[in-house]
Amino acid sequence: MIELPRVPGQELGMSTVTRRQFLKYSGVVAAAAAPMLTVDQIAAAAVTRPLPLGTPILVVVTLYGGNDGLNTVIPFKDSAYYSARPGLTYKPETLLPLSSDLALNASMTGIKSLWDANKVAIVRGVGYPKPDRSHFSSMSIWQTGSPGAHLNTGWLGRWLDTQAIDPMTAISLGGVLPPLLVGAKQSGSALPLGGLSIPQGVIGTACQRLAVPSPSDNPLMAAAATSMRNLFNVSGTVQPILAKPAPASEDLPTVAGGNAGGDTDLSRQLNVVAKLIAAGAPTRAWSVSLGGFDTHANEANAQALLLGTVSKSISTFLSQMKASGRSKDITVLVYSEFGRRVKANGSEGTDHGTSGPVFLIGDRVTGGFYGDQPSLSKLIDGDLAVTTDFRDVYSSVLEKVLGAPSERILSNWKGRVNAFKS
Amino acid sequence: MDTQRLEIARLFHRTGFGPKPGEFAEALRAGVASTRSKVLAPPSKVSFVTPPTFTDLGPRPSPNSPDVVEFSQQLRYQTQQLFLWWLDEMVASPHTLQEKMTWFWHGHWATSIGKVNYALPMFNQNVTMRKYALGNFSEFAKAMFSDGALQLWLDGQENTAKAPNENFSREMMELFTLGVNRYTETDVKELARAFTGYQVSRSSGLVTYNARRRDTAPVTVLGKTGAMSPEEVIGHLVAQNNSALFIAERIWYRFVSSQEPLPQDHPMIKAFADRDVYALMKSLIESSALSQQQYSMVKSPVEWFIGICRATSTTPSKLPSPTKLTNYFSTLSQIPFAPPNVGGWPVDQAWLSSASAQFRLAFATSIIKEANLGELASVSPVNRPAYLADLLGVVEWSSRTAYAMRGVRDDPQKLLVTAVCSPEYVVSQ
Repeated sequence: MIELPRVPGQELGMSTVTRRQFLKYSGVVAAAAAPMLTVDQIAAAAVTRPLPLGTPILVVVTLYGGNDGLNTVIPFKDSAYYSARPGLTYKPETLLPLSSDLALNASMTGIKSLWDANKVAIVRGVGYPKPDRSHFSSMSIWQTGSPGAHLNTGWLGRWLDTQAIDPMTAISLGGVLPPLLVGAKQSGSALPLGGLSIPQGVIGTACQRLAVPSPSDNPLMAAAATSMRNLFNVSGTVQPILAKPAPASEDLPTVAGGNAGGDTDLSRQLNVVAKLIAAGAPTRAWSVSLGGFDTHANEANAQALLLGTVSKSISTFLSQMKASGRSKDITVLVYSEFGRRVKANGSEGTDHGTSGPVFLIGDRVTGGFYGDQPSLSKLIDGDLAVTTDFRDVYSSVLEKVLGAPSERILSNWKGRVNAFKS
Repeated sequence: MDTQRLEIARLFHRTGFGPKPGEFAEALRAGVASTRSKVLAPPSKVSFVTPPTFTDLGPRPSPNSPDVVEFSQQLRYQTQQLFLWWLDEMVASPHTLQEKMTWFWHGHWATSIGKVNYALPMFNQNVTMRKYALGNFSEFAKAMFSDGALQLWLDGQENTAKAPNENFSREMMELFTLGVNRYTETDVKELARAFTGYQVSRSSGLVTYNARRRDTAPVTVLGKTGAMSPEEVIGHLVAQNNSALFIAERIWYRFVSSQEPLPQDHPMIKAFADRDVYALMKSLIESSALSQQQYSMVKSPVEWFIGICRATSTTPSKLPSPTKLTNYFSTLSQIPFAPPNVGGWPVDQAWLSSASAQFRLAFATSIIKEANLGELASVSPVNRPAYLADLLGVVEWSSRTAYAMRGVRDDPQKLLVTAVCSPEYVVSQ
């Protein structure tokens, strides 16, 4: 339905534009009289400044709906686990043991292999004070990184604010930008599956003119102009790359077409991310997501399918990255807005709960458990305790992955999770 | 900025879906007071397009039976008819406040056909929303308890005396009547017990009572104890002062500003004392809120699309491909009857990604290709931007957009596409 653009990489015109011109166009100087650049120049600017090899890259995987942490990292030796949720537990012999008392859901074989290679840190009992059981409030708290005060910016958005203005620094897959990537000075870009096409011809010129901020714009109108401008910036760079086949993974079988397992939404998203990282996109933070974790009824099968997708998509993705020489640079962060109630609800599902495990995966991670496993015998009003604050995780990710001071982004938060090789 | 023009533009775009040809200029001549009264004129009917007939398709036949193909076709067909009917209704309605409120309530009691599956219960829910769109909120909330689609959506039938399921009770307080943190976790659990005992026929949405599943013990919700029916306990929720505050906040958030909070002393809170939605909207429309420059909002994709259809006299169901139409809405992440979650659709910046900029452009091109632009073509190119500002109900074009339009003003189609993709039209200023 959307016409594919006709901008193969070779025709992009490799004339260099200076950094200064690029920034000027990108809105640092908000003047109606800013000189107009052509699509070719902008695309070239992006292509001519690939992310240097060795630059750390963060990939955030959001699981929407509230993933049941107890059926993800399972206390399979604890009789309280079995008695709290009959009909909703798995047979111990089917699980993937991680230690003497914890095991992964049987569907998570890909992540189990990465665990065995010492590349998975599981941070246990992650949450925040006074857990909120509303999907919307809790997701907003996780994404803004602010349990106390309501903020309009995301924790990665505030990191973006410390970076040079560039719509390609942080990209979210999908048509709608999550609050995670909204900053005060600049926000990340949204990239739908299938990519973007650049408006061409007379209407393309008109759109480029519409993309210039006007002194009379209110903030939302300025944001509308910016979104048009980012269309030219992002699409010019990524479109030719998306037309290429996916990078091959070295140690996983591929299905016809080379997109191993590319039939679920998350794997499609990570497939696009893999192509763009392999091509050298100057992007340091990516956001992908999977929904469906709100398992109020008939949970066991549904969650196993979803976790299987998460596990396979991530292991395939990291495997694909090996050929690009960037697999060492990548850290994957997986979280959800809350865990679920310990006790099953009688529809063979669970209601909204509190803390859950966060996964950090990659070569820069020191594998193992971090944070205490919330005890099933010391529940708080029927819910798991929060043993690790998510800001411990975010601070460490900001410092160790993005190499940025976290103080101003997370209001001087002191806690850390020492899950990264230094 | 011309504040009269600003307020009239907002009366068209916020409390309606944008002007039809000639309406905006006429309203400018009539003035703000007269335009407010016109918006507030009680609607003669709640529906202006004859809805298609939705039949009860019954349970899904087993996968290998010969009936399953016919069943699936019918299911798809009814869903598509439902979608097109409402789009046509939004374009046709002369009482746009009534229609806009129906749309607001759809986002408030946000229920998705993605889980409900059948068109009939979704249609019945829409009929209820039309009935109460400007009516009594307490009666409305009670009627919504017996709404089959909402019950299915929030696992109401899984909620039994033996095994309570809190999904419906939590959302009833958090998202429908009170707002987050205006109740305790104990209230959620107690309310769930008061909601037990109901079952729903999936295909018809008919809700029935089953005494065996009912928890008959007394419950205590927000300080009131007793063996209460769902209607009684909902009446108690809606009677809370916090409920008036919450509905006023939601109206403010969707009609005035998501960026700035509702002023605590805004008259619309008091105007809602009797839970009369019409009185609340009247108070809002007659307050100064819509004339204050800082309250801009981004149009959601549906609002943006309907505005273009109204301005170009386009009937959505007559566009060449309903599938294509659904696809455009899908890429823009907003399909009527399919909100992403029970919180409804996002607002403002969420609609302003680089992706949506592209999809709006492609979508506008496809609609405008079908439109009769004879009148625009008869205006001399130099006067076309001014003509379009009145046609579309735009406050004023910036020098940036005027410059962009200059390059395409000889081509009516391209000019209109440029105008509706401009920040001045994508945003309700």
